[in-house]
Amino acid sequence: MPQAVANTEQLDEHLMEVVRALHGAVKQGVSHKDDSKVMDKAIKDCKEILDEVMKGNVKEWLN
Amino acid sequence: MFTDKIELKDFDKMDPEYKELLGHVLTIQADCEIGGPHLYVEKMLPAAPTKLDQLIIARTAAEEIDHFRKVARVAGDIGVDVSFVLSQPNDKRFVDTFRGLITTWEDNSVFGFLIDRVGRYQLEEFYDCSYLPLQRILPDIVTEELGHIEYGYNKTLEMIQSGDEGKAKAQKAVDYWYVRALDMFGRSGSKRSERYRYWGLKRRTNEQARQDYMNEVGPILTQIGLKVPDPNKGRRYM
Repeated sequence: MPQAVANTEQLDEHLMEVVRALHGAVKQGVSHKDDSKVMDKAIKDCKEILDEVMKGNVKEWLN
Repeated sequence: MFTDKIELKDFDKMDPEYKELLGHVLTIQADCEIGGPHLYVEKMLPAAPTKLDQLIIARTAAEEIDHFRKVARVAGDIGVDVSFVLSQPNDKRFVDTFRGLITTWEDNSVFGFLIDRVGRYQLEEFYDCSYLPLQRILPDIVTEELGHIEYGYNKTLEMIQSGDEGKAKAQKAVDYWYVRALDMFGRSGSKRSERYRYWGLKRRTNEQARQDYMNEVGPILTQIGLKVPDPNKGRRYM
C-alpha cells in the first residue's frame, strides 16, 4: 500500500463536516422561503462557513 | 495500451509514469473543484438577485467543496498532498479560467452554463478509467455538476428572455467564457494527453473532447438566440 499523506483522513472528515453544515443551513433557508428572517440567517451562516473555507487555513482547521 | 484496472493496493507496483500522471491529474482536478467557489463566492453570494439565488450559490459551493474533498482523498491515499490548493491565490490556479474573480450575475450564470459543462467533460474522461478509486467517486460528482450546468443555463435563458439589455449581457458573457472553455481542453496534439490515454486515465484526445464540446454547445447557443463566438479568436491554446 502507498504511504498516505498524513492529514488525509482528518481533512476528509473536517470537510465532510463543513459540507454537512452548509447543506443544513441551505436547507433551513430554502424550506422557509417565505420567511425573510430565516432566509437571512441561513445566508449569514453560509457566508460565515464559506469565508472560513475560502481562507484555506488547513493547519488551523486540523489543530 | 494499458487495459488493467488498478486498486489502491496495486498502486505501488505501477510504473513511475503512471504514478506521476495520476498525481498530476488529481492535483489539477482538485484545483479546479475548489477554484470555482474561489471565483464566485466572494462577490456573488452577497450580490445574487434573490435570497434563493444566494442560497443556491452557497449550495453549489458546498457541492464543489465536497468534490474537492473526494478528489483530495483519492490523491492523499496515494501520497499526493493537494491541500495546498485550498489556500492557493486565484492568480496561481493551474487553469487560466479560474484566475480572477466573477463580479457580475451574467458571468456567474454563463460560468455555470459553459464552464461547469467543461468540468463535466473533464470528469467524463475518467469514466471507465484504469484507476478504480477515481472511477468510483465520479457518479455523484457528475450528477451534481449537471445541476450546476442546468442552473447556469436557466439563469442565462432568463436573462435573454428579459429583453435586449439582458440578451446583450448574456452574449457578452458567452463571448468571454466560450473561448476560455475551449482553452480548458488543452493543446491539440499534446504528448501528455497521449500518455494519459495510453495508461487508460483518459478516453479522448484534447482535440476530440473540445470538438465534442463545441458540437454540443453550438446548437444550444443558437437555439436560445445567441451567436456562437469565433472558436479561434482570443484562444491561448489551439
